[in-house]
Amino acid sequence: MISRANQGLSHLLLSRLFQAGLVAWLVGTLTFVLTRTLPGDMAYRIAAGRYGHDMVDGAAAEAVRAELALDQPGLSAYVGWLWDLLQLDLGRSLVSGRPVIQELSHQLGHSLSLAVIAVLLSLLIGPPLGLAAGRKPGGVLDRVSEVAASVLRALPAFAVGLLLIMLFAVTLGWLPAAGHGGTAHTVLPALTLALGLAAVSSRVARNAMAEVSHSAYYAFSHTKGLSARQSFWRHGLRNASVPVVAYLGVQFVYLIEGVVVVETLFAWPGIGHALVHAIVARDVPMIQGTALVMGLLFVLLNTAVDITCYLLDPRRRRA
Amino acid sequence: MTSMTLTTTLLQASDLAISGDGVTIAPISFTLEAGQRLTLLGETGSGKSLIAQAIMGTLPAGLSAQGALEIAGKRFAAAEPATRHSLWGRTLALLPQEPWHALDPTMRAQAQVAETHRFVAGKTAPAANEAASAELSRLGLAQALNKLPGELSGGMAQRVAFAAASAAGAPIVIADEPTKGLDAPRRDEVVELLAHTPNRGGALLTITHDIEVARRLGGEVIILRQGQVVERGPANVLLNHPETAYAQRLLGAEPSRWPDPPSFTGSAQAPVISADALRIERGGRELFRDLSVSVRPGEIVGVVGPSGCGKSTLGDILLGVTRPNAGRVDISREMPRLGRQKLYQDPPAAFSPHWSLTQLLEDLQRRHRFEQRAIAPLMQRLGLNEPLLSRRPGEISGGELQRFAILRVLLLKPRFLFADEPTSRLDPVTQQQTLSLLVELAREQACAVMLVSHDPALVEKVCDQTLTLAG
Repeated sequence: MISRANQGLSHLLLSRLFQAGLVAWLVGTLTFVLTRTLPGDMAYRIAAGRYGHDMVDGAAAEAVRAELALDQPGLSAYVGWLWDLLQLDLGRSLVSGRPVIQELSHQLGHSLSLAVIAVLLSLLIGPPLGLAAGRKPGGVLDRVSEVAASVLRALPAFAVGLLLIMLFAVTLGWLPAAGHGGTAHTVLPALTLALGLAAVSSRVARNAMAEVSHSAYYAFSHTKGLSARQSFWRHGLRNASVPVVAYLGVQFVYLIEGVVVVETLFAWPGIGHALVHAIVARDVPMIQGTALVMGLLFVLLNTAVDITCYLLDPRRRRA
Repeated sequence: MTSMTLTTTLLQASDLAISGDGVTIAPISFTLEAGQRLTLLGETGSGKSLIAQAIMGTLPAGLSAQGALEIAGKRFAAAEPATRHSLWGRTLALLPQEPWHALDPTMRAQAQVAETHRFVAGKTAPAANEAASAELSRLGLAQALNKLPGELSGGMAQRVAFAAASAAGAPIVIADEPTKGLDAPRRDEVVELLAHTPNRGGALLTITHDIEVARRLGGEVIILRQGQVVERGPANVLLNHPETAYAQRLLGAEPSRWPDPPSFTGSAQAPVISADALRIERGGRELFRDLSVSVRPGEIVGVVGPSGCGKSTLGDILLGVTRPNAGRVDISREMPRLGRQKLYQDPPAAFSPHWSLTQLLEDLQRRHRFEQRAIAPLMQRLGLNEPLLSRRPGEISGGELQRFAILRVLLLKPRFLFADEPTSRLDPVTQQQTLSLLVELAREQACAVMLVSHDPALVEKVCDQTLTLAG
């Protein structure tokens, strides 16, 4: 039985590993094609990124073009890039000249800490609220939280962020509006992301709990004599949490997209911030590197979700 | 226990009535003493399950109960459902309708029983585990302690549910359709299990539509119809000599009492479909091997066997939806493209719910171009009248909808019809009507029918040939 369970898990991990390879190739190729097709002269943009917008002239652009071999045909550039990737070499930033890996490892740490805090915060807000609402579908809490969740999810992350800045930084003056430093700097960007995530996870949790509380096994747990609290802890929580955790995987799309917006808004020195700068400066290796890391991160997070579901739901271990 | 004291009445209902939401259950009174058993018998929609819910205090929103209840020496007003919650598990045990659904799908069998021992009967965790394991082993489930409900058969799940519901020693057991969907041997096992309670000095209230269950349990029987008591009396008297016309009709609809059908005369004809040496595996388990069967035009072949033995899979193979692991299926050369059809178990699930029946018929006609003229006479034969057609599938009775399903399938002029438990969700009276119509029409139209059922008595009465799958 144990070997069967392990077999299931290793199968899961293997298929995720394959997926990671596929994602790396697809994301790399896509960013390659997209940056090549962007309008404007690449050499000019890179030169502007290096020397500043005022210092660029045709000669500087030509120098960059020659140095980076930007006029080589697309296909050979692509093959060259792919070959480097296979050797785990992401290249050097066209702007700073430092290895992409080095730049990313620095920024990734900042992004990850922001993302982890945001997810934890959203888990503290969303599912408990949803579970409470789902125990009494149609009640006051259910209706109020539904409206709040719809509004929060309908607003884009930058709007939520701006509203939070206006309230907590400008009007109340409790928290800094932007920047990176102590705990106080983390609160608003993390909350911005967390609110968007919690809006969805609270509704998923609510629906899952409502379904569980209408189920025959939940009714049976009551009639066999368990108290409402015992029924909830023993039969409600586990069954309702499986869809919530599974849905987290889908939500990571929102998280990764949100990181780009929120980091830019709050001047947070993370990977999303770096991506925006890299795109403006046409720093192709940096764009490819960041997109790649984000794609792989997505696979990694989903693997974590799969493993959690696997542990939560004994049916999966038998299947 | 209560049997030691002078008052041995465990459960008494006085003028218990239920109303609201278009439902009316007329006042009913009964008394159950220690060691007694009472069975409420009736067809679907007769309101028998609501009586169990009224006693437990679990009526759905919109319904309310009136009258008085006396449970283990305490008096309750039926109108106040919350007052009975403290009795759950300790005094009143409810055996749920569909045990598969009543067990937590993510919890192992032993844990589901142990938690009643621990949290309701107040044992320590190790003692509770011990007790659960002992009880499940006694019920023949020693191998299933660590299984999840999805890995149990219906009969096993019912035994686990019984152990979980009665672990705290409640003297009164209410069983609501405890044999629904079980085949005859499993059904008899459950009946035997239920009989433990009165044999040990408890009281048993069973709600069922299965006459055989009422007969095997004995005790007192009350026959209900549309919320009214039709007839009541001791099981051996009432079930053998019913006095009211309805009770006679209900009991007469039991398959073993059906009249014999006209015998099959076409055995010399070439088979419409035949299967040779089929072997099928599902999920690494062999369901059957070396299975050969052939069906001739107008012949009715019964398929019986326990749940999960591959009856529906056999149908899928003969219908050409799936392939066997070994063996071959031959179909007659004159078989049209849509000549193989299926009749489903649950009529509402086989219809698009949001369209009127007229619309559904028109769509079918447009798609398959059968003659419009064929509809009216066939409808008449099936006892479906014109006004029904303006309604939607959910707005007519299950029996009418299944007859409509038969209409729908026969309009396509099938040569082979696979009927997968077509009447198992219908009450006995409707079941008999529907099946005899199906047989009559199949004979007339020379359509071969394979009829799946879990009721051997029914198959024996209806079918010309029987195929038994062992499982």
